[in-house]
Amino acid sequence: MTKDPLHTKFCEMMGIEFPILAFTHCKDVVSAVVNAGGFAVLGEAMNTPEVIAADIKWIREKVGDKPFGVDLVLPSTAPPAADLNELLAGIPQSHRDFAAEIKKKYEIPDPKEEVDLHQWGGLNQEISRAQLDVILEERAPVFVSGLGSPAFIVEAAHERGIKVFGLVGKTRQAQREIKAGVDVIIAQGYDAAGHTGPIGTFSIVPEVVAIAGDTPVIAAGGITSGRHLAAALCLGAAGVWTGTLWLASRESDSDMIIKEKLLAAHSDSTVYSTCVSGFPMRITKCAWTKEWSRPDAPRPLGSPYQMLLSADYIQAANDHRREDLMMEAFGQGASFVTSMKPARQIVFDMVEEALATFEDLTGDDE
Amino acid sequence: MAEQRWINAVRGFDPEMAGKQAECDGGGPVVGTRLASRQEFSGVLSGEYMDHGDPPWRWYLMVDLQRKPAGYEQDSVWCESNSIFLV
Repeated sequence: MTKDPLHTKFCEMMGIEFPILAFTHCKDVVSAVVNAGGFAVLGEAMNTPEVIAADIKWIREKVGDKPFGVDLVLPSTAPPAADLNELLAGIPQSHRDFAAEIKKKYEIPDPKEEVDLHQWGGLNQEISRAQLDVILEERAPVFVSGLGSPAFIVEAAHERGIKVFGLVGKTRQAQREIKAGVDVIIAQGYDAAGHTGPIGTFSIVPEVVAIAGDTPVIAAGGITSGRHLAAALCLGAAGVWTGTLWLASRESDSDMIIKEKLLAAHSDSTVYSTCVSGFPMRITKCAWTKEWSRPDAPRPLGSPYQMLLSADYIQAANDHRREDLMMEAFGQGASFVTSMKPARQIVFDMVEEALATFEDLTGDDE
Repeated sequence: MAEQRWINAVRGFDPEMAGKQAECDGGGPVVGTRLASRQEFSGVLSGEYMDHGDPPWRWYLMVDLQRKPAGYEQDSVWCESNSIFLV
């Protein structure tokens, strides 16, 4: 093979060695991956503008001039403001009773702290705007919109030397964002962790590549190995977006129970269910998901009621570190995460396996 | 009407958008939680808009909702302009 198959146009654009993007909420993982020759994106949607500014400075101190990204969630719809007590009162008694039955069956203690209901101030356009302004002020190298269109901010970002990436679950979203001038499109498939869309990675990636022209497309959803990386490049992607892969890395600040769950996980260890948030979400199987999948279970409520209902359970599971109760968003590629390695080693192992895969395909062992 | 906090927003009316059938892709917050999820709406644009901040982030009001997430009880929603697809 004369050309390095891993040196893609995304590598050229970013001046990096390997087309591997790590999405993480842990700054140490970001610095380790970036310093290993990959690219990393810090999820900051739940943080205040002050924390985001401090994190950008911290990462810069660790990686110097190497590029990295900051991810936010941009709402594309604005729901009405709501009173929490009114929302709680809207949960039907039948569903409260079912949640109480689960609590009794699994001897789930009360949460140690008052349930915070996972509030983050209720993400809205005001909060998103303040978070975005910090990224512009700090001139983070890359802004990634993990949800919602970044089109309105592309010009302002480019004027400041900031590249803009957009993550999409539908081809028409990609088309719109490319037209608006985003630098990179991340096409995410159903295999991904969390609130993912219904289209499979193997379908959405080549479909987006077909309309992307010169804009690099990054494949996302279920990608955890060098074979996945090689396959994504064969689909026309210029790199891979990986999240679950880093949860069990040495640098990750995930709970050790979650790390051990990930090492033991396989492709059937997750469910795609509305029982946690009211929206389809890929999450690890646990007592909560098992009970809600019973044929006699009530139908999960819509949003936000189901999330409010599951909040007690989630907080109690985490407060008491109950392995049988805890849940985490894992992608379907979880089975390939088999040991707790430094992030740097994960990058190198992925690269080595991808290169070996290409050599197998071409019969070239040079 | 779906009321929201719109600080420093400029209201307006775009007659060219009024009455158009549209879909809105993307997502938003799960109210009262720290999660966000993909959410899809379809309905009719009223023509009302809000421009928020600088550069302006434009939102249109969608009414007469024909498709909305389970649990969404209102009959209107503000939609970000770049996430709207006219159908």
